[in-house]
Amino acid sequence: MSENQNQETTGFLEEEALKIRDARSTLLRFFRSIGRQKVRLLIVLLSVACYTAFNIAAPLYSARVVDLIWNRVQEMWNKGQSFHITWEYGGRQIFLLLLLYGTGALFYVLQNFLMASFAERLSLQLRSEVGEKLQRLPLSFFDGHQPGQVMSHITNDLDKMSEALQTGMIRFFVAVGTVIGSIVMMFRFSVTLTLVFLFFTGITLLLTRKLSHYTLQTAIRRQEAVGALNGLVEESYTGRAVIQAFQQEKESLKKVTDAANDLAKASRDADFLISAINPGIRMINRFGMVVITVLGGGMLLRGTMTPGVFQAFFQYINQAGEPITELSYMLNSMQSALASVERVYTLLDEEEISSDPADPALPSDPVRGSVCFSHVRFGYTPERILMQDVSFEARPGQKIAIVGSTGAGKTTLVNLLMRFYETDGGQILLDGQDTGSMTRADLRGAFGMVLQDAWLFEGTIAENIAYGRPDASREEIIAAAKAARADFFIRTLPHGYETVLSNDADNISIGQRQLLTIARVFLCDPKILILDEATSSVDTRTELEIGSAMQALMQGRTSFVIAHRLSTIVDADLILVMQHGTIIETGNHRELLNAGGAYARLYNSQFA
Amino acid sequence: MKTILSFLKPYRKRLLFISLIMIADVGGSLLVPTITANMINLAVSQADLSDILVQGIWMLGIALLSGGLTLLGSWLCARLSADFGRDLRVALYDKTLSFSTTDFETFGTASIITRTLNDINVLQQSLMNVLQLVLPVPVMCALGIFFSFSIHRDMGFLILGATFLVLAAALLIIRKAARIFELLQSFLDRMNVVLRENLTGVRVIRAFRKETHEIKRMRKSFEDYAISAIQANRLFAGLDCLATVVINLTIVAILYLGGNQIGTGSMKVGDITAVTEYAIWILFYVMMAQMVILLVPRAMTCMRRICAVLNHTPEIKDGTGQSGSGAGPEIFRFDHVSFRFADADENTLSDLSFSCEKGKTTAIIGGTGSGKSTIAKLLLRFHDVTAGQITLKGTDIRSLPQSELRSAISYIPQRAWLFSGTIEENLRYGNPDATREDLIRALKTAQADFVLDLPGGLKSHVSQGGTNFSGGQRQRLSIARSLVKPADLYVFDDSFSALDFQTDAALRHALQEEITEAGLLIIAQRISTILHADQILVLNEGQIAGIGRHEELMETCPIYRDIAHSQMKGGN
Repeated sequence: MSENQNQETTGFLEEEALKIRDARSTLLRFFRSIGRQKVRLLIVLLSVACYTAFNIAAPLYSARVVDLIWNRVQEMWNKGQSFHITWEYGGRQIFLLLLLYGTGALFYVLQNFLMASFAERLSLQLRSEVGEKLQRLPLSFFDGHQPGQVMSHITNDLDKMSEALQTGMIRFFVAVGTVIGSIVMMFRFSVTLTLVFLFFTGITLLLTRKLSHYTLQTAIRRQEAVGALNGLVEESYTGRAVIQAFQQEKESLKKVTDAANDLAKASRDADFLISAINPGIRMINRFGMVVITVLGGGMLLRGTMTPGVFQAFFQYINQAGEPITELSYMLNSMQSALASVERVYTLLDEEEISSDPADPALPSDPVRGSVCFSHVRFGYTPERILMQDVSFEARPGQKIAIVGSTGAGKTTLVNLLMRFYETDGGQILLDGQDTGSMTRADLRGAFGMVLQDAWLFEGTIAENIAYGRPDASREEIIAAAKAARADFFIRTLPHGYETVLSNDADNISIGQRQLLTIARVFLCDPKILILDEATSSVDTRTELEIGSAMQALMQGRTSFVIAHRLSTIVDADLILVMQHGTIIETGNHRELLNAGGAYARLYNSQFA
Repeated sequence: MKTILSFLKPYRKRLLFISLIMIADVGGSLLVPTITANMINLAVSQADLSDILVQGIWMLGIALLSGGLTLLGSWLCARLSADFGRDLRVALYDKTLSFSTTDFETFGTASIITRTLNDINVLQQSLMNVLQLVLPVPVMCALGIFFSFSIHRDMGFLILGATFLVLAAALLIIRKAARIFELLQSFLDRMNVVLRENLTGVRVIRAFRKETHEIKRMRKSFEDYAISAIQANRLFAGLDCLATVVINLTIVAILYLGGNQIGTGSMKVGDITAVTEYAIWILFYVMMAQMVILLVPRAMTCMRRICAVLNHTPEIKDGTGQSGSGAGPEIFRFDHVSFRFADADENTLSDLSFSCEKGKTTAIIGGTGSGKSTIAKLLLRFHDVTAGQITLKGTDIRSLPQSELRSAISYIPQRAWLFSGTIEENLRYGNPDATREDLIRALKTAQADFVLDLPGGLKSHVSQGGTNFSGGQRQRLSIARSLVKPADLYVFDDSFSALDFQTDAALRHALQEEITEAGLLIIAQRISTILHADQILVLNEGQIAGIGRHEELMETCPIYRDIAHSQMKGGN
């Protein structure tokens, strides 16, 4: 997945992205999050205020300087002399102007550098909070949320907040201050010219509003074209072998070409509109400038305006013109940032798992491996209870097979054994002790688990095998790999045990990944094993080898096996046949066959 | 670079036109303040109002022209980059169609998808940004300096100096920032990986009690990212501040130098406005370009990744020969075939010899990594053998065109993959001329006649990959699809494993009746699937451990016996 960054997260497309449920309390909480950085923020805000003030004052003062020089020039010319800037005439004033600019720039530097780390620190702090939170969330949270969705809260949402704070906030405050200040100054200089300016600005505002509708439409069209092409390309690459085997290369290329053409058209329109907005605004502003210059020229001619003021007026137009059209965009992005932060807070407010008992019972040492379900009652939601009253006993060293069709609730048993979910009634006993009275960590230490989806992390094969025991020596790791029949394929890899596994790489197969997860459990040498369909992609022969190796390893240990393959179930001491979330038959292979129930039907179809 | 530039070649004329427009646009931007200055000068020298009006009309004309040209330029840039992106995409996709499995796996599916979509998108956007924001910079600098010189030598040198200062600083910072940005991207990727692992692996993490370890791992990836981001922000802040200081200093310097020149009459008062505007414009363009240039390293990475695909030489080369007449019963023969992946130390397959004949069923059974699926891939030339040869009716398949080879085979992959569309379209995939009866017969043979009971029948919608059907249904549809295609050999690459035992059995019986002329090659995991094959190959670690019928192998092949016992235990 590392390369697959979703870069088409065009936030403005999703109306959802802007929705804020409770702006006030989110803002308040946000200020609490800022915490120790508050002083920093205060300094930044003060600095922004000062900078803006200096920014407004500078053109005003420069107007004076120009006029002073110009008047003096004319005075001297009238005397028939040429003019040179002296300290008294011009020099002092220019120096003052330099000071004015210098101080303004100082504040600018201050606020920019203070903000450079402010937003990222805040975002790091919130990210870490979420990271810790994740470890305290119940499994139901993970089962109920798409990983991509949660990830986007932690990465995109916080990045958005960061960016809004980083550049958006300063720019926003500076813009507001500058626009107000500049317009006030402009009114002071000339009401007429200011009104002309405001008139043309009004036109640009109307135009951008009107255009934003089209921009949105073209953006949506492009998004659709991107989606269509994405789907097609993904489909074609995944089904590449079929395309080649059926010699459909030409047809497939034609389809991709058509989709690429549609995208080209859509993105041409979208890109054009986006890149045309600024020049368009600039053009209208220039029309305004023309009117202002002509009118201003007339005023100059009549002497009702000085060259300095004229020049300063233009500086104010420049200062105020652009921010005005950007203000609504800035507001939008701040609002969406706030909505992002709110989503992160929602995540932080998710209900956590119940805390471990204050005075936890310790599992027996060493764990013997007896597991007992006693009148267990459970449902994922209280309204839909799946298990009404389940009881069975697994004695130390026994092999318990869990059988049933997809969705029969086989993983539910695992969830309960490992306390990924809590029961609604009854007890689960480990060596006669209620597992609810232990800490989850102590309980889970007694178990080793191999899941169907073969989860491995981005790291070397050796690191992955040693996940449960980071202190394991290389010899122990290799021994575990050998026991899991993984050593053979690992050694055929170019870098052997140092091969880095990445989650999207096809460098090892699903079966091989599963062998690695089995090796990982071998290394931990747990007292009780849970095998969740671990063998479904491992072929029968390897399965058989693992089976015998495991049996040797598990002398006196208990194992729970979920499998489709009947061969693994045949030697089970106890078979739990599950349907609709509860156990409908129990017994060993012979007993169940003789009973002639669901199990027998399933088994007999094998040799039809 | 060369590869990518060749994609721009067809658009040379448009590029030239865009450049011309851009020069006109920049010129217009600078003329506006120049005319403003003229007006001020006229006004203070007590000219007529009509003179000022004339200047106003000039200004209006230039604003209109320059604005219009800019809009035209934007349109052309958008069109050019869109076409460029499309051409690249089509070329890239076309290229991948000639790739073998090994070729493809050198890149990885996810990576090739990213290259086709995101990477090209980045390039396309970069091209547009470069055309619109970077290309005008030298023009703006040159014209701005030229206009300043035409007002006064001192002003010219002043603007020249300021431009150099800003450009030098921008270049320096960009070079530093490029490195940080690359780092930042890799930290972002890392953060995503660690997060995804934490979200999808929560059960394993908790089972192994690694919560604290994972918190540390996440924290580390967050910190690395934050540190880099802060560094990048500081650089930006630095450049931003520098630009502000330079522009302020320049304005003051213009006032000082300009004031003296006005005093001697060699400059007019309005010129101060003009030069100030020139300076602001130059700075504005440089700052805009700077944002774009920062993204160039990323675009270069994308470009390299795209070029790697475009310039990759496909492993498999098309032959030009013709296959033999095919008089005998033999279709394919493996003649001492060995295969080794380019980066592996050991052979995946060693010294295989066997043949597939008309009307006969050949079966292959063996463990994971025993190389059984590789056999099918060799047959289709998704890979080429490293030693020995495979022949189709006596001709080495490497000397045949791939299309001819593949038309002789109908292949059912291990992972059933259907294309989005209708069931009918999917079934006709290998034989567009098939009749409705053909389709229905294939569906019945494949035990997929459930389709006929669907409300949409053959026209039922199939979503991408076929995910709106269950694994077993998908597999049966995939089998039906291959049965519609006429072929000499039907290759079932472990295609029965998703079926339940009853369907598996029914399908095998139906196949036996339906396919009498062609040969069957069945790669399987279950003994029951291959029990009645004419010959069974037992594969173990890439070598043939036994070959024969079920009964013979039970006698002679211990590995086969092991498999059989494990699967049939308790059955009798």
